[in-house]
Amino acid sequence: MSFTPEELKKLLLPALAALVLLGAGAALIWSAGQSTARAKRELAAAQDERRQNGERLARIAEEEREVKEKLDVYQRLAQLNILGEERRLEWADAITRIRTQRELLDMRYRVERQRLLSSVAAKAGNVDFHASSMKLDLALLHEEDLVRFLGDLRASGNAFYAVQRCAITRTGQAATGAGITPRLRADCDIDLITIVDRGAKR
Amino acid sequence: MINLSQLTTRRILYFTAEDHYLYRSAGGALELEARFSGDDLGAGDFREHLRAHRGALYSVLADIAGEDFHEEQIPFVRGSDRDAVVARRLAQRYRDTRLAAALSLGQVASGERRNERLLLASFTNTQQLAPWLNALEEAGARLSGVYSVPLLAPALAARLARRGERVLLVTANRAGLRQCFIEHGRLRFARLERTVDMVPQALAMFVRSETLRLAQYLVTLRALPREGAPLHVAVVAPAGQREVFEQVLVSDARLQFHTHDLAAAQKAIRLRRTPEGTLAEALYLHLTARKPPAEQFASREDRRRYFIWQLQRGVVAAGVLGFAACAFVGGSRWLETLGLREQAQQQQEQGRRAAQEYERITATFPVTQTSTENMKVAVVEFRRIAERSALPEQALTHVSRVLAQFPQIELDGVNWRIGRPSELREGKPPAPAAAKPPAVGGEAAVLVEVSGRVNATQRTDYRGITAQVQRFAAALADAGYELARSPQLPFDVTSEGTLTGDIVGSVSGDAPRFTVFLARRLP
Repeated sequence: MSFTPEELKKLLLPALAALVLLGAGAALIWSAGQSTARAKRELAAAQDERRQNGERLARIAEEEREVKEKLDVYQRLAQLNILGEERRLEWADAITRIRTQRELLDMRYRVERQRLLSSVAAKAGNVDFHASSMKLDLALLHEEDLVRFLGDLRASGNAFYAVQRCAITRTGQAATGAGITPRLRADCDIDLITIVDRGAKR
Repeated sequence: MINLSQLTTRRILYFTAEDHYLYRSAGGALELEARFSGDDLGAGDFREHLRAHRGALYSVLADIAGEDFHEEQIPFVRGSDRDAVVARRLAQRYRDTRLAAALSLGQVASGERRNERLLLASFTNTQQLAPWLNALEEAGARLSGVYSVPLLAPALAARLARRGERVLLVTANRAGLRQCFIEHGRLRFARLERTVDMVPQALAMFVRSETLRLAQYLVTLRALPREGAPLHVAVVAPAGQREVFEQVLVSDARLQFHTHDLAAAQKAIRLRRTPEGTLAEALYLHLTARKPPAEQFASREDRRRYFIWQLQRGVVAAGVLGFAACAFVGGSRWLETLGLREQAQQQQEQGRRAAQEYERITATFPVTQTSTENMKVAVVEFRRIAERSALPEQALTHVSRVLAQFPQIELDGVNWRIGRPSELREGKPPAPAAAKPPAVGGEAAVLVEVSGRVNATQRTDYRGITAQVQRFAAALADAGYELARSPQLPFDVTSEGTLTGDIVGSVSGDAPRFTVFLARRLP
C-alpha cells in the first residue's frame, strides 16, 4: 500500500503523538525503575542500620559490664596521671625523692623528647599514646637497690614506666673503707608512657 | 486539533427512492439532522451541508427497490486471486461495479473441487446514488461505507429472532415493507415493497400476504424446501401496533410468526432515542453506525479518506496503548517502590527505636569524662602496651634464686631487655640505643643474658666447666624461661669451632667465663 504526500502529511501528526506517548511511557518506566532502585538501596541501608542497632542493643548487658570494667581501668589511669599531658617536673621530683629516701648513690638520668607511640582513631577524637625515653645510670650497692627504685618509680605514677632494657654489671671497685663504694652499676632504658584522650571533656 | 465528538458521532444518509434523510448517531441516540429531496436540488443542499461539516464521518444506508442478489460459485482461492476472481464475476454480472459487493455464503464441495458460494449484490440502478457519492467525494468527506438494509438484516435478526436455519425478517420502513431472507445467519434474498399510509389492521394483512408471496417465491427458487419445518418470520411491528399484528399474523404449517414491538427491538440493539416519525429504518441506521458489517458496496477508492482516518486513529491508539502499557508497568513499579519505602520506613523506625533504647540504657551507665568509645580505645590500647611490657625484677629474682644453688658460679653481669628471641639466636644483640621492643606483638620476649665465671674449677677442666655451666643453664631454663641459644663457654667444643689447649704447670688467675642466653615470650 502506498500513500500520497497529502496522506503522509495527515499521518505525521498522529505518528508524532504516538511517538511522544511512547517516549513518555518509556520515561515513566525509566523513572519508576530509578525510584525502585533508590528505594531498594534505602531499604538495604535501613535494614543494615536496624540490624546493627539491634545487635548493639542485644549486647548492651555485655557492654555495660565491659564499660564498667574499662571505666575502672580508665579512672585508675587518670588517678595515676598516666592519662593527660606528661609531667616532667613531677618525674624529676619523684626520682629525687626516691634517691633520697632509698639513700641511693650516684644517679644520672636523661629524658629524651617526647615521641608519638601510637594514635587510635575514635568518634569523639583520637587517643594518642606518647612515650618519652629515659636513660638511667644508677650506682648500686646491691641489686635490690634497682628493684626498689623501679618499684618506687612505678608507685609514683605520672606515667606508665615500661622498662625496655636494664644491664647490671660489676663496677670492679674494691671497698676502701673510707666510704661507701658501689659494687654494681645499672644502665637502663625506660619508656615513660602517657595517654592523651582528645575526646575527653576538658 | 482533534474534535472528540468526531470520534463518536457518525452521520448516516438514509437513501430511499424518494427523499433522503441525514441522521446523526451519537451515544446510542439518533437525530435527524437534515432531509433532502431526491432530485438535483436535494443533492445541491447535501453539498452545502457537507461544506458545513468538513471532517465528519459518513455512511450511506440505501433502502431502495431494485437490489439484485445472485448466487454464484467460485473456486476456493484466497488473497489477491480471490479478489481478482470476485472482481471478474462482478464485472460479468453488473454493468456498473462501483456499487457491487460479493457476500460469502461459505464453502461447498463439488466433486473433487472445493468452491466458495458467493452472493453477488448490487443495485439495478446505481445512477440514482452516484450524485450523492460524488458529492461526498468532492467534499472530501470520510465515507465509511455504502450499505443496504439487507446487509444489516442478519445483525438485526440475530438480536430479534431465535437462532434457526432460516429466518425471514420483516420490517415496516419509511421506504416500504422490507423483507430479508436469512439462512444460517447469512443474507440470501431481500425485497422492498412500496407501501402507502394504511391502518394497522391493513398493514398487518399486507405483511401477511407479502410474506406468503415471498415464501412461495423462495420455494420456486428452491431456497426453501416445499415440505419441512415452518419458516420463522420475525416481524417488527410499528410502535403500539404489536397486538393488532399478532391478531392478524397467525402462524400455520408454513409460517411461524414472531412479532416484536419497535420499542422492544430498539432496546434489543441498545438504541435509546429516535426522532419523531422514524419507523423501523431506525434499527438499521443504528446498526450502520454502531455495528456495520464487513460487507458493503463502496469501493476502496471511495473509502480511502475513511481508511486514512482509521489509520490516524489506529496510530494514536497504538501510542495510547503503548503509553498505557508503560503506565501499567511504571505503576506496578511505583507500587513496588511504595511498598519498599514503607518497608524502609518500618526498618528505620525499628532501628531508631533500638538506638533510642540503647541510648536510654547507656544513659544509666557511669558518667565519664570521655565517650564510651574513647574510653574503650584508651583502655584496650593501654592493655596491649602493658602486655608487651615486663618487669626486670622478676628476671633478677629468678636468676638470684638459681644462683643460690651454684656457689661456685659468680655473676659478672645481667643484661635484661625487651626484644625478639631471634636476636639472641643470631648472636647479635642490638646496640643499647637501638634496643626497642617490637612494634607489634607475637614476637616480643624478655631477653636475659647472664654472664659469669666458674670458680673452684681448673681452667683446663673443659669437661667440668662445661658440665657446671650446662647445669646452671638448665636450672635457669625454668619458670617460663627457655634457653635462647647454647651457653657461650670459654672454649669452643663444637665441631665447627677450634679447640685450643694451654696446659702449663702453674694455675692461671682468671676463672673461665661464660654467658647464658634466656628468653621468655610475652603474650
